[in-house]
Amino acid sequence: MNPQANRPPYSKSSGVILVPGERSAADDATLLRRMGDGDEHALGTFYDRWHPLVHAIVQRIVRLAGDVDDVVEEAFWQAWRQAERYDASRGSVQTWLLTIARSRALDRVRTVRRQREEPLEGDAENDVLQLASDSDPAVDAEAAERRRVVLAALATLPSEQRQALELGYYAGLSQSEIAERTAQPLGTVKTRMRLGMQKLRDHLQSIREDGR
Amino acid sequence: MTSDAMTHDSAREALEALAIDALDAWERDAVMSHVEQCPACRAELAVLRITASELAYGVRPAPMASAQRDRIRARLMSRAGADVAAAEPTTVPQYQILVPHPAQVETKTFARNWMTSTSSWIAMAAAIIAVASVTSLIQVSSERDTIAAAYQLATTDRATGSTLVDSLRSIIDDRDQMIANLTGPKTAVVSLASSNAPSPKGHMFWDQSSNQWIFVGHNLPRPKPGRVYQLWLVTASQKISGGVFMPQSNGDAMVKMRYALPNDALMSVAVTDEPAEGSPQPTTTPYIAGARTATR
Repeated sequence: MNPQANRPPYSKSSGVILVPGERSAADDATLLRRMGDGDEHALGTFYDRWHPLVHAIVQRIVRLAGDVDDVVEEAFWQAWRQAERYDASRGSVQTWLLTIARSRALDRVRTVRRQREEPLEGDAENDVLQLASDSDPAVDAEAAERRRVVLAALATLPSEQRQALELGYYAGLSQSEIAERTAQPLGTVKTRMRLGMQKLRDHLQSIREDGR
Repeated sequence: MTSDAMTHDSAREALEALAIDALDAWERDAVMSHVEQCPACRAELAVLRITASELAYGVRPAPMASAQRDRIRARLMSRAGADVAAAEPTTVPQYQILVPHPAQVETKTFARNWMTSTSSWIAMAAAIIAVASVTSLIQVSSERDTIAAAYQLATTDRATGSTLVDSLRSIIDDRDQMIANLTGPKTAVVSLASSNAPSPKGHMFWDQSSNQWIFVGHNLPRPKPGRVYQLWLVTASQKISGGVFMPQSNGDAMVKMRYALPNDALMSVAVTDEPAEGSPQPTTTPYIAGARTATR
């Protein structure tokens, strides 16, 4: 692909920033514009800034060390290739990048699962989110704040609803696979996931409004 | 259950699971068919997807070991450098593969509900090209020689930066591998086409000995903002993502991937229009597709 071909002018809309982080958002927008113009040094800076977050979500989903490296690389490579198409009106750069990383990680997990024709495995107990709000100075402050918000919202959910979301989002399991793993009726899993997502949405919205 | 049987209430109850990609394939297709026709469900799904995306922040940060971090960074920078170098027509000619035998696909094969069954993918049968085009090989070889000449000049020019030299070396290695993949004794070639204007077409070269796949597309228009093309390998039971891509301004595109698939498993190859982040399963009818009908 030609990264310099047919570059449309970059347009920055008002953006959807859920917590304070204007400086970071502006920097990211600049980096993406430079990446879209074919500046590989911008990719290096972008990688330096966001690899802890991308690595975290990929490692959480993929878990096999060799595969983690490949998926992290492919996530940033996709960001490089699609930098010009980032639309700030649809979410922050971090969310865009993390969505890419999760998609590529789930592709890898599902491919491996199909190739091995593995039965569902794993310890559901280990899939429960770690709700202790730790901090890491290496991680961008905005991301840390968003993590705090998400963990606070998740903490309000009943454990079985949180587990259903966890297995669906991080393990890439379908509802029928979750039912099989947890030995629960499919209808129960559907209800837990639906209620969990609705509560999560409401809690996140409430937290955002309180923070304004 | 089929997409026709999905009521609004049933679809609405599945939107939360759809937002985190937790529906089984058949149900996902059925819900998506409803969502495409229902503005209320589309709006609700958009909100739920934003909520789902926030879950990514719930993971404990996991910094990489320095060696691991640097290794990935070096690979990325090398690939990006090669990508930029390949975009400079005066230095490195752009890769273009010419295939003289475009496949034929009947318009009727693009069924509206093709996503719901693998058989409908297979029904989109095009032709298979049993032998890789000699013209393609000549072109790739010619490019390889041109790049090699540029590499020789760059290595003797003291003013040339090491990044460019490394990039050229990387491209030469890439072309060498490509030639090997195109000419291998176990390379199958699947042709993709459609009746859409302006006659988009493509070819998938599958080197079964190395599990290396090379897709080359032509006449592919730019997707709409926020959309990309996604490549799919279709077997009797799965549609396997081959990655997302964007065509160049001239409509050409190339995707390389490595994937182990039993020699007799591939039934067809397709390209669909998908959201920018890609989809776990196809959500639109193929823009171009072709079936495997024989092997070399």
